[in-house]
Amino acid sequence: MPLWRRDLHALTGAYALDALDEGAETRRFTRHLRRCRTCRDEVRRFREVATSLAFEVAALPPPELRERVMAAAARTRQLPPEVARERRFRFWLPTLPTTIWLPRLALATTAVAVAAVVVLSVILSGTSQRLNSARTQSQAIAAVLAAPDARTANGKVTGGGVVTVLLSAEKRELVVTGTKLAALPADKTYQIWLIGPSLVQKSVIRSAGLLPPVVGGLTSPTLASGLVSGDILAMTVEPAGGTSQPTTTPILELSLASKTTKATKATKADKKNQADKKDKKATSKGHTSTT
Amino acid sequence: MDQTDPDTPGLAPVPPPAPGERDPDQLLRLVAVGDQQAFEHLYRQLSPPVYGVIRRVLRDPAQSEEVAQEVLLEVWRTATRFDPALGSATAWVLTIAHRRAVDRVRAEVAAAGREQKTDWASSGTEDDVADLVLTSLDRERVQRCVGGLTDAQRESITLAYYSGYTYRQVSALVGATLSAIKSRIRDGLISMRDCLGVS
Repeated sequence: MPLWRRDLHALTGAYALDALDEGAETRRFTRHLRRCRTCRDEVRRFREVATSLAFEVAALPPPELRERVMAAAARTRQLPPEVARERRFRFWLPTLPTTIWLPRLALATTAVAVAAVVVLSVILSGTSQRLNSARTQSQAIAAVLAAPDARTANGKVTGGGVVTVLLSAEKRELVVTGTKLAALPADKTYQIWLIGPSLVQKSVIRSAGLLPPVVGGLTSPTLASGLVSGDILAMTVEPAGGTSQPTTTPILELSLASKTTKATKATKADKKNQADKKDKKATSKGHTSTT
Repeated sequence: MDQTDPDTPGLAPVPPPAPGERDPDQLLRLVAVGDQQAFEHLYRQLSPPVYGVIRRVLRDPAQSEEVAQEVLLEVWRTATRFDPALGSATAWVLTIAHRRAVDRVRAEVAAAGREQKTDWASSGTEDDVADLVLTSLDRERVQRCVGGLTDAQRESITLAYYSGYTYRQVSALVGATLSAIKSRIRDGLISMRDCLGVS
């Protein structure tokens, strides 16, 4: 083990010159860097040395480049600053975006959309074996849909797209679908995670599986189980095949906490509110059925 | 071993800013709050090494220009994320530039499956080196430090940095073991670091 460590340590030079192999080796070394302060300092200094190598070959770019860069900068929005650098997963918790909880009508729409994608993926997959597994999957999804406590949540993904989650706390299952997601290169995948509430146990991060490849901006629904009340759903981009713990900054954080179990009164008030709104509008009929 | 003089700037070869001109670290801080004029100044100071290193790796002028534009725009876009604790602004910008150039090379090699040329020996043929960037004194110093490397170290560093090879590719090319290449690169960088007085 110590030998292996020293081996890793010897890679600081190659790393600083971008001369590591992409993939496993780079990942292993980056992980090591997070723990090894000496290595980080060494890499930082080596990068300053590399800077002098760059100045050695400095060359004046064509003058048009300046115009183009300035013009592009003038119409490019800058990224907002990161509030906490290198935050760990547990530090996401306070920064959760507001979740948009959809009313029942939207749930019905989602159900139709989910069913349509399931049918589509069945049509697209040729073999009968796939048909069977798709059928099993669509039955499982139907079971989540049919659960009396089924509801949906959705969240915007950094970099574009929306992830919609259909979940049943009772069945402890959820169905995840992405729309308008950016297609990833073949060696990358979207991975979803469930993170327990921070106060309970050790804020466990569990992989909830990989999203299937994006086809035409859509991913077919993915069933995940083991949902615990108070969970947060997160999504990261990981190397193909997925990882056991997230290695990149999440591009989606979505609270799945059930409002009903936490505060029954609030829920009732919400429902009343909704009903009031609908009464005011006086356009919707039949969607206000109370359970 | 690390006789660091607190008064010595971290980056020996970077010229001191002209009177009234801010250095890249100060400029980048202004860029982060959306100062376009600061970005122009930063461009003037750093576009030669950015373009130069990209061109050294990619060779093709048109492609280099394209990548340089991407890099400089990324500097503008992500200036808000720059963390001075992790190094100088100059090193940050040039790390992005080198990374992008290398990414481009590797993506192309992967796509075309073609062999890379081994033209490392023809180093130092840039005709349009911007002397305005490095004062002759700084240049002398860098060259002296490069000259202080063993031939094997210089070869490995040149192949990795200027040709954009991975250390595995360097190893295959020069017929030395992987661990030999790793040490050559690291020892060479340590020697240069001490010679340049990087703090």
